[in-house]
Amino acid sequence: MLGVYVHVPFCESRCNYCAFSSFVRNDEIDRYINALTKEISSFNGDKIASSIYFGGGTPSILEKSQFERIFQALKSTFTLTDDCEITIECNPNTFTADKGRFYRQMGVNRISFGVQSLDDNILKFLSRRHSAAQALSAIKCAQECGFENISADMLIGVNKNTDDFLKQVELLCSQGVKHISAYMLQIEEGTPLEKMVMAQRDLLPDEDESIDQYNGVAKLLKKRGFERYEVSNFAVSGFECRHNVNYWTGGDYVGFGLSAHSYIGGRRFANANTFEKYYRGVLALDEQLSTRQLQEEHIMLGLRCKYGVDKKYLFGLGYDISKNENLPELLDKKIIFDCGGRLKLNEEYYGVNNLVIIKLLPD
Amino acid sequence: MISMDRIEKIRNFCIIAHIDHGKSTLADRLIEKTGTLEKRDMQAQLLDSMELEREKGITIKLTPTRMKYSCNGEEYTLNLIDTPGHVDFTYEVSRSLAACEGAILIVDASQGVEAQSLANAYLAIENNLEILPVINKIDLPSARPEEVKKEIEDVIGLPAMHAPCISAKEGTNIEDVLEMIVKEFPCPKGDENARLKCLIFDSYYDNFKGAICLIRVFDGTVKPGEKIKMMHTGKVFEVTEVGVFLPFAKPTDKLLAGEVGYLAGSIKTISDVEVGDTITHLESPVQDPLPGYKKVQPVVFCGIFPVDGAKYNELKDALEKLKLNDASLEYMPEVSQALGYGFRCGFLGLLHLEIITQRIEREFNLNIITTAPSVYYHVHKTDGSMLELSNPSSLPSPVEISYIEEPVVKAHIFAPPNFVGAIMELCQEKRGVYEGLTYLDEKRVQLNYKLPLGEIIYDFFDSLKSRTKGYASLDYELAGYQTSDLVRVDILLNGERCDALSMIVHKDKAYSRGRALTENLKKIIPRQLFEVPIQAAIGSKVIARETLSAMRKDVLAKCYGGDVTRKRKLLEKQKEGKKRMRKIGSVEIPSEAFMSLLKLDDDQE
Repeated sequence: MLGVYVHVPFCESRCNYCAFSSFVRNDEIDRYINALTKEISSFNGDKIASSIYFGGGTPSILEKSQFERIFQALKSTFTLTDDCEITIECNPNTFTADKGRFYRQMGVNRISFGVQSLDDNILKFLSRRHSAAQALSAIKCAQECGFENISADMLIGVNKNTDDFLKQVELLCSQGVKHISAYMLQIEEGTPLEKMVMAQRDLLPDEDESIDQYNGVAKLLKKRGFERYEVSNFAVSGFECRHNVNYWTGGDYVGFGLSAHSYIGGRRFANANTFEKYYRGVLALDEQLSTRQLQEEHIMLGLRCKYGVDKKYLFGLGYDISKNENLPELLDKKIIFDCGGRLKLNEEYYGVNNLVIIKLLPD
Repeated sequence: MISMDRIEKIRNFCIIAHIDHGKSTLADRLIEKTGTLEKRDMQAQLLDSMELEREKGITIKLTPTRMKYSCNGEEYTLNLIDTPGHVDFTYEVSRSLAACEGAILIVDASQGVEAQSLANAYLAIENNLEILPVINKIDLPSARPEEVKKEIEDVIGLPAMHAPCISAKEGTNIEDVLEMIVKEFPCPKGDENARLKCLIFDSYYDNFKGAICLIRVFDGTVKPGEKIKMMHTGKVFEVTEVGVFLPFAKPTDKLLAGEVGYLAGSIKTISDVEVGDTITHLESPVQDPLPGYKKVQPVVFCGIFPVDGAKYNELKDALEKLKLNDASLEYMPEVSQALGYGFRCGFLGLLHLEIITQRIEREFNLNIITTAPSVYYHVHKTDGSMLELSNPSSLPSPVEISYIEEPVVKAHIFAPPNFVGAIMELCQEKRGVYEGLTYLDEKRVQLNYKLPLGEIIYDFFDSLKSRTKGYASLDYELAGYQTSDLVRVDILLNGERCDALSMIVHKDKAYSRGRALTENLKKIIPRQLFEVPIQAAIGSKVIARETLSAMRKDVLAKCYGGDVTRKRKLLEKQKEGKKRMRKIGSVEIPSEAFMSLLKLDDDQE
């Protein structure tokens, strides 16, 4: 079984903090879909899909007919499991009832909205194209179209008022959102935001405030019945994003489209990140992971989520993690919990998971 | 009579000066003026051949040069023996002086007599050299040659009214200096038919020929094929080559009494060639060696460790190679709990230490950690025995110690009178004992202090320079040991002692140093997963404490769209960083942190 990712690298405009592969080029969309459907149809390998994820960019920017072409290619290539999770990322301003009904028809059963904030000033500051009201009405609209599994992305570390920020998260919960991804804003190199922050150091909340927001969100969502199943992801039970869980637990996945990553049978490869190279089938990355890398990635991904690290699996790869010299201290200080066959990171230390991961890697 | 002719036309001389007064520039000019080298062949300041030396504008390595100069229709051989101008190398200077009959004392026409002008002039006087002052840098607008001449007469007691006034930089009046060398300096005395007596005044290592002795022949003749003996070490060698420097080494068939040159004899290690030793023939030796020999002892010590623990062997190779060329460098293996495997190294002084550590980093491309420099202590134990140690962590527990002695120096500081207050204050802070003040003239005073060497090597020179706006100069000589109230201050991280950070300090300074060190550590150590107390302690008594709060957030890379490569790159970077980490108990410290601690200065206390 595979997770299937489809990348839609188009946006109406670029957000000032974004460093992902996305382009404001409507003229390129049809050509891109030609290449994309060809890539999907010629896929060779495991053809059973347990999840499909349309990410971007802004997948909701596509016309119905464009989206249908991609979907048809997927359906004729893959057999979808009965409970196949099909997610589409949407921007509140490009989502309509018409599109919502259409997505339902196509079999989409999960929508992830890029809400980011419910403060119009902050949305403007982040150069998002939607307003808070639009975000809330898009969620309502999706629900009316029959979507129950709705996720919202929120950005931590932008709003200087933590209480305000937490109220927004609270509001999302009360709107019936079942999943929240709360990402810490990262200042990426070369983005307009980087320049802005360089010019004005106190533009954003400082580290301590960001951490307070992070911990505040975790506490709030716990109260509202959400479980934190990954450092930045919270879900009402049963609404965890299966597609992402598959990434984090070492499952196989295939990615189609510009700069999409695949991981199949220990081989990791990725498409090129320019249209011209992608059309020529150039790979930006193609490697077979070594035993060592497999060990490291398992630890790196496992400690980021509630599933933890599988000691037996690592032992099978030749790494006896119970002999790690730092482990006794981490257990002693309750930074790591030993839950039978698995080692899990204490939620309180999710914010500093890298420090812990480093300590548990093989020498 | 022919041999008399030969020796009468030799002049062996050196140039002595305070740093920056223009010694190397004058040497270059002499070489150029005598046509020893064409101008285009000359690297700027030829004699300072090592990159580091050129950078620091100081000469460490001595390179003798033979020049020809015609005067009144006669051709003279001039042997210029360059000398290092730094207090760390006083013994080397004295041996170079012993190889000469004359010394040119250069004094900067604007700065006048400085600490090392005086110290080196006295050394030359002790070695019975003819000293001729030369006033340099007369091209400077601030030059005051007449006053400086008077200063030389008053302060050093040398006649200077007829001293040539030159500009080595611009080549002004260089002829006067050459003429003076020929006319004023005595020719060497010696008998080429007598038994062989040569002074080793320096050495270096050649990859093909082995250790090379730089020698002055006092009596006799030395030729390849002869068996020679080093009188102090007792080592015997067969001469494979002798020659002179023009200024590049050129073999000759022999070296005669009065001459300066080099000698090779398949000598495998430079330790067999001790500066100051006397060479004689094995079969027909002289009775007594030349006077003045001293075994050179390092006075400043520190630990050197590779930043990457896996590079221990590379560090060992580097030290071995440096030792080939530098007999005064000492090292022995040392194990530190905090820093792992490394070496305890001994140096002639702080400059020597700095040169060696920089060469390890540059020439061998190794990142190293050096611990704080320390001196040799005499630790008298209650059982009557005495320990000599330089490593604070080897100090026995206080109950076993009866008393500790530390080395002291006699320091001579020269400065304009308006800085006397600042200098006295500094010396006071450094536990100095005042021994007198002399007004050299209305512009300069000489202050004498007895100071612990341990204080001199702890930031004294920089403080002196900064408090006197760079006007003061310093010279010192070792002056035995004195009993002092010394204690060891330990640094505890999360309750664990970090041996590499221990220091031996005077009891009165323990609190302020402890506080400064803990404050600095708090700034340097990255935050950890948990809170870390940083303490300074004497024995079990904590004298200072800081708390490093726990880290709350590291970089949270999103694992989006299955792209884990970004996260992995981040981890790779952190893993690379981990290699440079040292663990003290459960606290991780980047190796670089140890270095920045050394920059802790007294003004912070």
